[in-house]
Amino acid sequence: MKQIQQTEKSILIVGIGNDILTDDGIGPRLVNDLNKGRLPEGIIFRQAFLGGMELLDLIKDFDEVIFIDALKTGLNKPGTVHLFIPQDFEETLHLSNIHDIDFLTALELGKRTGMRLPFKIRIIAIEIIEDRVFSTDFSPQIRKCYPKILRKVQESIEMMLSEQQICSTSGILN
Amino acid sequence: MSKITIDPITRLEGHGKIEIFLNQDGSVDNVYFQVPELRGFEKFCEGRPVEELPTIVTKICGVCPGCHHMASGKAVDAVFGVEPTPTAKKIRELFYMAHFIHSHIAHFYALAAPDFVVGPTSNPSERNILGVIAKVGLEIGGEVIKQRRIAQEIQAMIGGHQTQVIMNIPGGVKKGITEEQRDDLVKKAEGFIHFSKFSIQLFKDVVLGNKDYVDIILNGPYSLKLHSMGLVDSNNKVNFYDGKVRVVDLEGKELYKYSPNEYTEFVEERVEPWSYLKFPYLKKIGWKGFVEGQDSGVYQATPLSRLNAADGMATPIAQQEYDAMFATLGGKPVHATLAMHWARLIELIYSAEHCLELSQDPDITGKDLRAPLTKIIGEGVGIVEAQRGTLTHHYWTDDKGMVKKVNLIVGTTNNNAAICMSLKKAAQGLIQKGIPATEGTLNMIEMAFRAYDPCFSCATHSLPGQMRMIVNFRDKDGNVLKTIKRG
Repeated sequence: MKQIQQTEKSILIVGIGNDILTDDGIGPRLVNDLNKGRLPEGIIFRQAFLGGMELLDLIKDFDEVIFIDALKTGLNKPGTVHLFIPQDFEETLHLSNIHDIDFLTALELGKRTGMRLPFKIRIIAIEIIEDRVFSTDFSPQIRKCYPKILRKVQESIEMMLSEQQICSTSGILN
Repeated sequence: MSKITIDPITRLEGHGKIEIFLNQDGSVDNVYFQVPELRGFEKFCEGRPVEELPTIVTKICGVCPGCHHMASGKAVDAVFGVEPTPTAKKIRELFYMAHFIHSHIAHFYALAAPDFVVGPTSNPSERNILGVIAKVGLEIGGEVIKQRRIAQEIQAMIGGHQTQVIMNIPGGVKKGITEEQRDDLVKKAEGFIHFSKFSIQLFKDVVLGNKDYVDIILNGPYSLKLHSMGLVDSNNKVNFYDGKVRVVDLEGKELYKYSPNEYTEFVEERVEPWSYLKFPYLKKIGWKGFVEGQDSGVYQATPLSRLNAADGMATPIAQQEYDAMFATLGGKPVHATLAMHWARLIELIYSAEHCLELSQDPDITGKDLRAPLTKIIGEGVGIVEAQRGTLTHHYWTDDKGMVKKVNLIVGTTNNNAAICMSLKKAAQGLIQKGIPATEGTLNMIEMAFRAYDPCFSCATHSLPGQMRMIVNFRDKDGNVLKTIKRG
């Protein structure tokens, strides 16, 4: 994988999660480790605890943002890395707007009220298995495959930053 | 018997599920409200220095981290047998007013207003905050975002971070407020007052100006006659940070008034086999079941309960609005569930006014930020009012201050029984025999729930698009007859 040396755009990478709820903290942990890695200088790394409207102030005025979050569907192997773009959720945009200030509603609210929001938003989601137990340690399954997850996430971000067209996909880790 | 499942509840932070069981004729037999269990918090805390807990507990809940931080800070003060300095206490309270302001703004505009400004049975695609600003104007939408953000910035400035707060230490706070920061705070507080007055006027115009809404509030299936709990100051005025817990009965007569360290004499928790969440009740009355009335042990701890339990508000504009609400709704106490929204806006005004008072207080820029620690008591209770109810933290430590045991009664837990009862009453009133429940009907049932501003959130981030609602209609054998998915 080609290493990207620098970027002219303002890029934000946000890890969302609770780092004392077992696997739930994988987003913040990944962001922490990515910040020490080979990604270009100038990228801003942040950790966040909340989604929805809370994120508007975090992402405004950046050109691009990549979220890293946990996902728990029970349908995929723990450690599966999913890549999403917001358009994946357009199909459910109006429905999800019904119920909550979810992220897409917040984005729409920001747009309508004139906020300068990122022109590119991508989401990396990692399938986890435990987010109901207070612990700063990952579950054994996630702990075991964490190095692979980190590598996959780093490669995914490099791909995103190299301006390749990203479609939603998922990669099953062995 | 048929079953309707609403899962997860819409516009709820965290996850929950409502189960509605129907009789053969389609009428409502019973309603169960359930939330998933989070495990191991006590064990997680055991063996840690107790002064670490105020920072750790902010991660229990992303919605009200500041409340846990304050209750924890007070419990830790009690463990060390120390009172914060006057300046430290005022700085804590100033932070806390900003915490209430951001939360109450978010609840009203994002969670409550869609039902009233857009309409409880209106097109679901418009019944959200975007629908609200479409009605009231983009400028107001921008102001909602701005005022909420300013409140968050104040929390970050005082607390070190708006959610992962680190300000409280035993006997005080880590850092003070400069004169320059004070000038900025005064301007921001004046902005809060202006916006909170606008918000309550909007409520009056939209809700009180609509006879149908007033009828729903007062005569719909949304009333619940229970005892009221809230923290009061030495003048029996509403206080979010400090004071004694006061409980009044259905007539507004004081039943109890106790200090935080006496709470175990007055409140006990009941376990039901179908719920992970406990059911606190008034210990001296005892558990009489999920029943209303003077003899019931069930109480409410909500914004409306706080106003019911107090003799008034400690700031002038909030007091005027307090008087106006009770005059309009027939005097104290009020038992109309949907009036919680009105009470919440009165609390928003109080928070804004008190934010200004504290910002202008000469002590707020004082340098005496921490009282000396001289002993370890080994046990401490801290009680504050969270946005959604009375919040209790109780810690036990060894003689070195290492945590041995932790007990929490969080705001929403106080209202667990009341929420179940409100849902049942709304479902029984709204679901008619032989008539399938519509989306609008289900939303109106949820309105009984949303009024409590409940929060079961420990991992509050959610993947975009994840929030959904599933309604299952089942026959007596549990077979799914029909499924409605929303989201």
